[in-house]
Amino acid sequence: MIYVIDHNDSFTFNLVHLLALYDDVVVSNYKKIDKSYIKKSHLVVFSPGPGHPKNYTETISLYKSIKNNKKILGVCLGFQIILYSEKAKIIPKKYIQHGYKSNVKVNNLSLIFKNNTTFSVANYNSLKLLEPFKSEEINITMRDTENNIAMALENINKNIFGFQFHPDSFLTKKGKFLVQKIIFT
Amino acid sequence: MSKIFPNNKYLNKLFKSKKPLIIYKVKNGYDLLTDFSHKIQLDNKNIDNFFSNILHLDPDKEIFDGYVGFFDYKLLCNLIGLKINKKKSDFFNKSIFYKPETVIKIRKKVRIFSSLSIEYRENELNNELKNYEENIFYHKKNFDINYSLENFKEKFNFAKKKIIAGETYQIKISQKYTNNSYINPIEFFINLMQVNCSPESFMIRDENYSIVSCSPENLIYKKGSKITTKPIAGTIKKNKLMDITLAKKIFAENKKENKEHNMIIDLERNDLSKICKPGSVKLKNKKLVEEYKDLFHYVSEISGEIKEGVDIKEIITAMMPGGSVIGCPKISTLNIINNLEDSSRNIFTGSFGYIKSNLDMRFNVIIRTILNYKNSIEILAASGVIFDSKYKNEYEENFIKAKSLMDLFKL
Repeated sequence: MIYVIDHNDSFTFNLVHLLALYDDVVVSNYKKIDKSYIKKSHLVVFSPGPGHPKNYTETISLYKSIKNNKKILGVCLGFQIILYSEKAKIIPKKYIQHGYKSNVKVNNLSLIFKNNTTFSVANYNSLKLLEPFKSEEINITMRDTENNIAMALENINKNIFGFQFHPDSFLTKKGKFLVQKIIFT
Repeated sequence: MSKIFPNNKYLNKLFKSKKPLIIYKVKNGYDLLTDFSHKIQLDNKNIDNFFSNILHLDPDKEIFDGYVGFFDYKLLCNLIGLKINKKKSDFFNKSIFYKPETVIKIRKKVRIFSSLSIEYRENELNNELKNYEENIFYHKKNFDINYSLENFKEKFNFAKKKIIAGETYQIKISQKYTNNSYINPIEFFINLMQVNCSPESFMIRDENYSIVSCSPENLIYKKGSKITTKPIAGTIKKNKLMDITLAKKIFAENKKENKEHNMIIDLERNDLSKICKPGSVKLKNKKLVEEYKDLFHYVSEISGEIKEGVDIKEIITAMMPGGSVIGCPKISTLNIINNLEDSSRNIFTGSFGYIKSNLDMRFNVIIRTILNYKNSIEILAASGVIFDSKYKNEYEENFIKAKSLMDLFKL
C-alpha cells in the first residue's frame, strides 16, 4: 500500500492517479494522519501544496518519526518539507513561474537514475532550496539545467526521495518512469 | 419572432406569458423546460436528500427524470468545507432546482413532450395572458463598477504577494458591474444568442428573478461512466486585424497564457482523478482556440472513466466550483478570494445544468451571465492573476468579458 499525505493541493490526485497504477493508494489530509495506514504502507508520499514547509508541522513530525523505517517520497512542497526537516532553508525564487516546463539533469550523486540523463519536467514552485546546503544524509541528485536549482534528492540508505518538480503533470514526459523507479527501488 | 427560434404559436404565447421557464442551448438548437412540478431551494441541510430523491425518479414514468437548475458559489464553497463571511450585495445566494413536466425541443421543428394534456396547458397559458402587464424597461446609461482601477490595483498586489509566498499559483479576481433594471429575459436571451450563441448558454425566468447567460464553458458532461470537462483559460481580445489563425499563433507564442492554461489542465486532471479509474484520465484535446463575439478563448478537453460507486455529491464536490474560475490550488486560493473580494459572487462561478436519475449530468460554469433579481442587475467577470500578470491588462480583460452583456442594454 502507498499512503499519500495531502497538503490541500490541487495536484495531489494527479499523483494518486499515477501511483494507483502500481499499488493500492490511500490518501489522508495532513491534519488527519492515520498511524494504522503508515504501518500498512511500504511508501509514504508527501504531496505538493501551497505555502512554506514550516507551516506543515504535522508532516514535519511525521517525517522525523518514520524516516528511519519507511520509504518516503516528497513532491514539490513535500520535497521542501523533507529538506526543511533536515535543517535546510527554503526561500522564495527570484523569478516565479508556475505551470512551465524545464529540463533537469541527473548528477553523479544519484544511485537510482543514470548520471547526465535529462528529463523534461513541470514546475509549480514559488520557493526553492537555499544553497550551499550541507547534509550528511541527503544528496541533491538533479538540478535545473538553466538555473541550477535543486530539483531532486536521495538518501538511498534510508530510502528517502524527493522531486521539486511534478512527475504527475501532463507536462512531464517520463512521469511514470520517474515514479516507478521510486516505487520499485 | 426571431432568427433563433422557429415561429410557433405555442412558443410565442409561452414567451409572452410570465410562466417560469428555462431555455438551455443544446447542439442543434435549444431545449425549453417548463411546467415545473417541484422547485427546491438548496442549502447545506437539504442537499443530501435532494441528491437521493433524484435517484428515485423513474425514467419510464417521467417526461424528464431529473432536475435542472443551478448551484451558487457560496453553497459550492460550503460543500467542500469552506465558510464565507457575509459580504456586500449578498442578496442572491440561492441554489435553485426545478423538475420540469414539459420539455420542448426547439430545432428546425418544435416538438413538445409533456405529462400534462394540451388542453390543460393551453388553458393555463390563456389565463396567464389575460392578466398580462408589460414591464417598462428602464436602466441607467452606464453600469456601476465595484472597483476603480486603483482599488483593483490594491487587490491585485495583495494577490501577487500571495503568489510570491507560494500560497496560490494563480488566482481569479472578479469584478462586478451593476445597474437597476427589470429586463425581459426572453428578449435579452434572443438578442444575445443572435450575436453570441455560446455552447453553454441558458436562460431562466421565474417570478422574482431571471438569469440570461452565454456561458462558453462546460464543467461536467457525464453520460454513463464517461465524464468530460472542457476548461477555458486564456483570452485574446478581438479586433479587425485579429482572425483565428493569428489568435492561434499568439496563444502558442504567449508564455503567460500557456502557463495559466497548463495549470488549469493539471487542476482539472486532478479533480477528475478523484472520481475516475486509475489510468483513465486523459487529455483528449489540448489547447484549442475557439472564437466568440468579442474574444478568442484557449480551451482543452479532459476525459475519464468514473469509478464504480461514486455518487452525485462526490462528483459535484470533486469538480465544483470549477477550477478555471478560481485558480489553484483550489482550497488555498478560494480562501484568499473569499478574504479579498468585497462583494458576493452570488451565482457567478456557480454551475447551471441538470442531473438525471441514472447520474447522467451536464453542468456549465456560470460566467458571462446577467442576474436580474427584483430590480437589481449584476454582471461579474474575472481574470487570472499569475506572477507575470499586469493589473491594467486584467482590469481591461474583465471589462471585455462583461462588455457583450452590457451592450444588450443599449439595443
